[in-house]
Amino acid sequence: MVPYYLLSPGGLFLLLFFLIPLALMVYLSLKSGGLLSGGFSFSWEFSNYSSALGQYRPQFLRSLTYSVIVTIAALLLAYPMTYWIAFYAKRKSTWLLLILLPFFVSFVIRTIQWKFILGDNGPIIGPLKNLGLLSDDFRVLATPFAVVAGITYNYLPFTALPLYVALERIDKSLIEAAKDLYSSRWESFYKVVWPLSLPGVFAAFLLTFVPATGDYVNSSLLGGPGTTMIGNIIQEKFLVELDYPEAAALSVILMIVMLVLASVYARILGTEDVERAAGAQA
Amino acid sequence: MNKRERSFTDPAAMQRVLGHRLTRRSMLKGAGYGVAGLSLASFLAACGGDDGGGGSAAGGDGFDIGEIYAGEAGDTVNFTNWPFYLDQAKDKDGNVFNPSLKQFKEESGITVNYEDTINSNEEFFGKIQPILAGGDDPGFDIMVITNGRYFAILAENGWVYPLDPNRRPNFDANATTWAKDPFYDPGNQFGMAWQSGVTGIGVNRKMVNGEVTKLDDLANPDKVGRGLVGMLEFDMPDFVMINLGIDPKTSGPDEWKEAAAWLQMQKESGTVRAYYGNDYLAEVQSGNLSASMAWSGDILYSEVWLLYDMGFVVPEGGALLWIDNMMIPTGAKNPVGAMEVMDFYYQPKVATMVSEWVLYMTPVDGVKELITKDADQAVEDGYKGYANKLYQTAKSDYLFPDEEFISHTSFGFDPKTDEEIEEWDSIFLPISQS
Amino acid sequence: MSIATPAQVTLPKRSEAPVNEPRKRWTRFILPTYTVLMILYLASPIFVMILYGLNDIPGDRQTPKFWGFTLDWWKNVFNIQGLPEAFKNSLIIAPVSAAIATVVGALFGLALGRYRFRGIGIIGFVIFLAIAVPEIVLGSSLLSMFVTVNAPLGMGTILVSHIGFSIAFVAVTVRARVQGLDRNLEDAAQDLFATPIAAFFKVTLPLIAPAILAGFLLAFVLSLDDFVITNFVAGQTNTFPLWVFGAQRIGIPPQVNVMGTLLFAAGIVAAIANVVASRRRK
Repeated sequence: MVPYYLLSPGGLFLLLFFLIPLALMVYLSLKSGGLLSGGFSFSWEFSNYSSALGQYRPQFLRSLTYSVIVTIAALLLAYPMTYWIAFYAKRKSTWLLLILLPFFVSFVIRTIQWKFILGDNGPIIGPLKNLGLLSDDFRVLATPFAVVAGITYNYLPFTALPLYVALERIDKSLIEAAKDLYSSRWESFYKVVWPLSLPGVFAAFLLTFVPATGDYVNSSLLGGPGTTMIGNIIQEKFLVELDYPEAAALSVILMIVMLVLASVYARILGTEDVERAAGAQA
Repeated sequence: MNKRERSFTDPAAMQRVLGHRLTRRSMLKGAGYGVAGLSLASFLAACGGDDGGGGSAAGGDGFDIGEIYAGEAGDTVNFTNWPFYLDQAKDKDGNVFNPSLKQFKEESGITVNYEDTINSNEEFFGKIQPILAGGDDPGFDIMVITNGRYFAILAENGWVYPLDPNRRPNFDANATTWAKDPFYDPGNQFGMAWQSGVTGIGVNRKMVNGEVTKLDDLANPDKVGRGLVGMLEFDMPDFVMINLGIDPKTSGPDEWKEAAAWLQMQKESGTVRAYYGNDYLAEVQSGNLSASMAWSGDILYSEVWLLYDMGFVVPEGGALLWIDNMMIPTGAKNPVGAMEVMDFYYQPKVATMVSEWVLYMTPVDGVKELITKDADQAVEDGYKGYANKLYQTAKSDYLFPDEEFISHTSFGFDPKTDEEIEEWDSIFLPISQS
Repeated sequence: MSIATPAQVTLPKRSEAPVNEPRKRWTRFILPTYTVLMILYLASPIFVMILYGLNDIPGDRQTPKFWGFTLDWWKNVFNIQGLPEAFKNSLIIAPVSAAIATVVGALFGLALGRYRFRGIGIIGFVIFLAIAVPEIVLGSSLLSMFVTVNAPLGMGTILVSHIGFSIAFVAVTVRARVQGLDRNLEDAAQDLFATPIAAFFKVTLPLIAPAILAGFLLAFVLSLDDFVITNFVAGQTNTFPLWVFGAQRIGIPPQVNVMGTLLFAAGIVAAIANVVASRRRK
C-alpha cells in the first residue's frame, strides 16, 4: 500500500497535466470548423490528419532531417569531451560544471547572442569580410546551417550527459586491460570502450533527437524561408491562426512519431540510461 | 496609373461595413469561447435574424456608454503599442523615458504604463482573442490596431468598448479630416487614429547595387543580393497587388492568385531572407537586410535620428496606406482614464512631440506649423543640425502628404466573410510557411 | 614445446613502449585542449552577453555595434516597461513550482526506487515519456486542455504546467539515488528505531537529501528557463524568457543582458556553494 500512497500526489499531477492533456489534444484534433465559421465541434474529423500530412510533409521531413544531423553532430562534438572527462580528468564534477554553467542562463538569451555573433556584419563575419576572406554576400544567418548549428548548441548538454554517465560507469580496469591487449590505442578504444558506451550513445541519441525535432525557437531566431520546421507551424497554428483542430492534429502526429521511437528504444535498451542521464543533470 | 481620389472616406466601403451582415458575429458566438458583452444586435443574430444595415454598425449596441464610463479615472492606464511609436528621451541619469507620458502624468496625475510589444496584428490578436472571448481582463486599457481585418473583428464581436463621444474635446477640435469618420469606423465609434503611414521599401543604401525603385527590384538578386530582402508577412499581399496595378479593395481570388504568383517567383529568385512583422527593422539596422518592405516612420526615424544610411522609397507602383487606431478592449480596468490619454494626444503640442520623433502621419491638425516653429526655435538656440532635421520633417511627404502623394497610395483589402478569409489565407499563408 | 616462463617473456615496460606516446599526446594535450575549446564555445554567448550589457548605445535597444563602455544599464536595470514584472513572475513561479514538484516528485521517486508493485513498469514508462517527449507536444497539449475547459491563461496555468513537467525530472533524480542505497542501512535503521516512519526520517531521508536538493535545483532552473511550454500557456502574462523572446524581435534592451549576467553570476555562486557543500560532506 505504501508505494501507492507515495505515488498518488505525483500520479495525480501527471494524470491531470500530462496524460489528460495529451488525450484532450487528440480529441481536439478530431474537431472541425474554424474560428470564424461557427467554432469547433467534434466530428471525428480525420481529414485534419490527412490534410496535415499532405500539406506539411516538407516541414515534417525537414525537422527529422535537421534532427538527425544535429544528433550526429552533437555526438561527434560531445564524445571526445566526455571521454576525456570520464577517464582522464582529475576533477570531473568541476569540468562537468564548467560545461553546464552557461546553460543556467535561459536558452532564449543565449540563442539571441548567437544571432548577434553570427550577424552578417557582426564581430566574426564582419572582419572576415573586410579582410576579403569571405565574399560580400556571404552570410550564416537565415540558412539551414545556422538553424542546425543553433539546435546543436542548445542540445549539447542533452547529448553530453548521457554519454558521460555511461562512460563514467565503465570499469577503468577494463581500459587497462585493453591497453595491455591491443597495440594501438585506437583499437583499444574501438574494441572495448566504444561498445561499452553504446547504451549511453543511444540514450544521448534519443534525448537529443526527440526534443530537437520539435524545436522551433532556433528556426525562428536564426532561420529564414525554407528552414521552417514543424514546430514553427504548430506554434503558429495554435497561437496566431487559432486553428486549433489542425494544430492539434499536427502535434499529435509529432507525438506519435516520437512515441514510437521512444517505445522501440525502451523495448530494446530499457529506460535506465535515459533516466540516469536525466538525473545526472541535477 | 489612374489618379485615385483621397480614399479616406470611401462611401462604397462605408456602405459595405454598414451593410455587413451579422452572420459572422453570430458564428463567432457559437465558437464556444463565450463572448463578452451581450447586445440586442447579437440577440437577434443568434436568433438567426439578419441586421439589415443602417445606423448601428455591427456590434456596440449592447454597450451602455454611461455604464462603461461611469466613475473616475483610475490612477493608472496600461497602454500597449507598436515599437518606435512614442517620443523618447534620455534624462541626465541615462534613464530612457517618454516625455509626453511624463507631461500627461504631471497634468492629470495618472501614470501610464507603456509597453511597445505589438509585433503584428495577427500575433497580437492571436494572444488576446482567447482572453477577450472569455470575458477576462486583458491587462491593458489601450491597444493600437491597424484598420482592416482585426479592427473589424474586434468591433463586430463586441471585444472592444465603444468610445464615449463626449470625452474627446481635443479630438473633435483638432483631428484631421481623414481621422474623423474613417470608412472603416463611422463616427469613430471604436477607435481614434494614433498615426497613419505607408508601407513602402526601406533600403540600406550601401548594400544595394543602384537604385531600388520598383517592386521587381526586390526579386532581382543582382540589385539586392541573395537572401538579403525582408518582406512584411501580412502587408505583402496588398502591397504586391498595388504594385501590380490592382486595387486591393476591389480585388478577388483571381487577383490574389496573381499576387501570390509574384511572391512565389520572388521566393524562388532567392532574394528573400525572411518574412517579418515589426522585427524587420532590427534586421535592416544591423545590416542583415539590404532592402525590406518597411513602414515609413520606422525608416525615417532610423535615418534621421539614429543616423543609419537608410532611405525610404515608394515604389513606382504605389504604397500601401493604413491607419493605426487606439481602441479600448473589453474588460479594461480604466476606460475613463484611457479616453483621457487618447484625447491628450490630440492636443497639437503633444502631437508635435510625438510626430517629431516617430515621423509618421499625424491625425492632428496644426502639427506642421508647430514643427516649423520648433525648428525656428532651434536655429535661435544655435542647434542648426537639429533645426535642419525639423525643417526636413515639416516638409516631408510622408508626414504631410499632398494629393499627389496620396494618389499613389491605396488601402488594403478588407475581408468581410469567413470564406474570403479562408480563401485569402489558403492562397497566401503557404508562401511564408513553407 | 615448453611453456615460456614469465621470466623469459619480456613485456615492454609501459612507459617505454613507443605505442604509448601518441596516447599521451592525446590524453595530455589534444583531448584536454579540445575540451577547453568546447567549454569556451559553449560559453561564448555568455561572454557576448556580459560585454553587451556594458554597451553605450544611443537608443534603448541593442545594436550589434559596440559603442563604448557604460554602467548606465547596470544602474537602471529595471527601467524597462514590462521587464521587471516578467522577471518577478519568473522568480515567483520558479521556486514555487520547484518546491511543489520536489515534494511530489521525491515521493514518486522514492516509491519507484524502493518498492516493487503492480504497474511499476507502466509508471516507469510514463515517467520516461514525460522526460523524452518534445516540449512543443507538452505545451500544445496543455493549451488544448486549457482551451477546452475555458481556463484563463496566466500565472495559474503557467504554475501547474511547470509543476507537471518538473515532477518527472525530480522523480528520476531521487529514484536513482534511492536505488543506490544500501538496504542494509535501512534494515539496521529499522532495528534501531521503533517505527518505519522514524527510520525513514532519521536514516533514509538524510541519505537521499542530496538528490532531493539536486532535484529542486533542477526543477528550479527548468522552470526559470522554460520558454516553449510557457509560451503556449501563458496568455498575456510574461515570464522573463517570454519577454526576452518578444523583445528581441524589435531589439533587446541592454538591461536584458545585465539580468542575464546577474543570473549567470547567481548560477556560479550556486555551483560553488554546491561544490563546497559536497566537499564538506566528504
